[in-house]
Amino acid sequence: MRRWVLIGLSTLLPLAAHSADLDGKQLFHEKCAMCHGAVGMGTGLLARRMKPEVAPLEMREDLSAAYVERAARVGILNMPPITRGDVSDAQLASIARYLAKGKP
Amino acid sequence: MDAPHTPPSAAALDKALKAMTAVVGSAAAFATEEDRDAYSDHFPIDPHRHRPFAAVAPTSAEQVQALVKIAVAHRVPIWTVSRGKNLGYGTAAPVVAGSIVLDLSRMQRIEVDVENATVLLEPGVGFFDLYDYLQTRNIPLWLSVPGNSWGSVIGNALDRGLGYTPYGEHTRNLCGMEVVLPDGDMVRTGMGAMPNAPTWQLHKYGYGPAWDQLFVQSNFGIVTKAGMWLMPQPQIVRGFDVEMDRMEDLGPLIDTIGPLRREGVLLQSPTIGNWFRAANILTTRKQWTDQPGSLSDEVIAAIRKQFGLGWWGVSLRVYGRETVVQANMDILEKALTAIKPMSMKPFSWRPGEPFSPTQGGWMGVPMTFPMQSANWFGGRGGHIGFSPVLTQSGKLAMEQFNRTYARYKEFGMDYQASFAFGERHMLNVNAVLLNLDDPQFMKRVDPFLRTLIADARQHGYGEYRAHIDYMDTVADCYDYNNHALRRLNERVKNALDPAGILAPGKSGVWPAGHHRGTKA
Repeated sequence: MRRWVLIGLSTLLPLAAHSADLDGKQLFHEKCAMCHGAVGMGTGLLARRMKPEVAPLEMREDLSAAYVERAARVGILNMPPITRGDVSDAQLASIARYLAKGKP
Repeated sequence: MDAPHTPPSAAALDKALKAMTAVVGSAAAFATEEDRDAYSDHFPIDPHRHRPFAAVAPTSAEQVQALVKIAVAHRVPIWTVSRGKNLGYGTAAPVVAGSIVLDLSRMQRIEVDVENATVLLEPGVGFFDLYDYLQTRNIPLWLSVPGNSWGSVIGNALDRGLGYTPYGEHTRNLCGMEVVLPDGDMVRTGMGAMPNAPTWQLHKYGYGPAWDQLFVQSNFGIVTKAGMWLMPQPQIVRGFDVEMDRMEDLGPLIDTIGPLRREGVLLQSPTIGNWFRAANILTTRKQWTDQPGSLSDEVIAAIRKQFGLGWWGVSLRVYGRETVVQANMDILEKALTAIKPMSMKPFSWRPGEPFSPTQGGWMGVPMTFPMQSANWFGGRGGHIGFSPVLTQSGKLAMEQFNRTYARYKEFGMDYQASFAFGERHMLNVNAVLLNLDDPQFMKRVDPFLRTLIADARQHGYGEYRAHIDYMDTVADCYDYNNHALRRLNERVKNALDPAGILAPGKSGVWPAGHHRGTKA
């Protein structure tokens, strides 16, 4: 690895503790935040296509639960599909509900 | 391309999957078309070549034993992944299309021995999981993490992955394993062969032949637990972020770092990267040029200027007690100043102080942002590595660099390279960035990689790790005495796995009677 030049990023957000329950927020931090948190690959690439302040998925207001589930399962652009072994259907539904903020 | 392995029959696969589903439950068996795509390679030359039949996700070593016995009974190949995030090497996909993937993602137990700085892990534990576990409990132990830390701690060590701290050769951190053998038997290696031994994660060898490395990059067993050594948090970390201005500065830089690494002034695994390795995370090609072929010198100069990058850069770090670190820093500073770097930025950190996330690699903090390089061409991308093992000679490394760079230009590729120091060797990790949206570009990738492998072979350089498409080709380079090593590997394979069910073709090791797809 050589030095990586990323500018204007805050310190890493601590991820939530491991758990097997279905709390959407906690599951998002366990399963998604490595890429969609403060300095992840997903946030970095989404910031190229939208306002950087809404690049972290938790800041979005336009996500539906159905869209989140579909995107995770089939992948989008450089995001690989998330296998059901890694994130179960029940876990993904919980994460999607959390990110959709009440939208179906 | 390597010829396909004979696929198992559909009837055998259906019966095997049904029996496996009875073991793991229907919520842990995945066989829809979408599942098959999800478990395929995502940085592929051909996404269809390694598509599995299904995947099953056991939660215990006992379930793994049961699944292996089913695979033997039905003679279907299984391909084990720890978390299935081995991007650039095949992701979760098997060498043999139609295999059933054993996805160990759901095996996530962590047992830390704080006093002895060790951990016993199951394969589903990712770098972020272990980092969170340690952080939330204020345990002062550090991981070493690879540039893409999405994957499994154990899986990465089993594929000889690399990090950037003094624990950066991950396979060296392994200490003691629990392994399910291809007949369903279970063995514990090293001191683990004694029930309840308190030294399983402390002494790597046990008594008699030591087997841990036999289960690394191999298809002789399924590792269901492994011990790893963790790094005690240092009192201080100091170092320099160094940029070298010219292409030809690589040789002197290597000849400066090598002796310090061998002597132990540097204990980390320093990695020299070229300007592109930093830049392709930050920007896309279209922002700089619309010309096909390799980037021109003018474009390279403009990108370097924009981001303040040398042609080569390296981050050197010294870890440990204050007085020892100070003494080693003095030696390091004097040695680096002598080769006149373009810039040399000091770094210092003590526990409790904040640091930039971009420093994570040297601080044992997992990260994924380096994978932004997959977006270099602006659309769907990825990378495949070409990583020959070199000596720590600046002269020989320059020669290898010149050969490789000329090939990148010949094939119209953008050159990304790093030179990663081990204690005696150096890994020349080159990435070929893929443009999955451009079929003409993708057609050049396979001949390009085969040319690089053949060039290196001529000089006695073989790769340390390979994508599933190149496992046979790379194994073929290790051909002393009429492939004596391969013949030995396959004698062991046939003794342990006579049914040939476990990951056929992994690292170029095939069971008896199976077609070897080697294309030299």
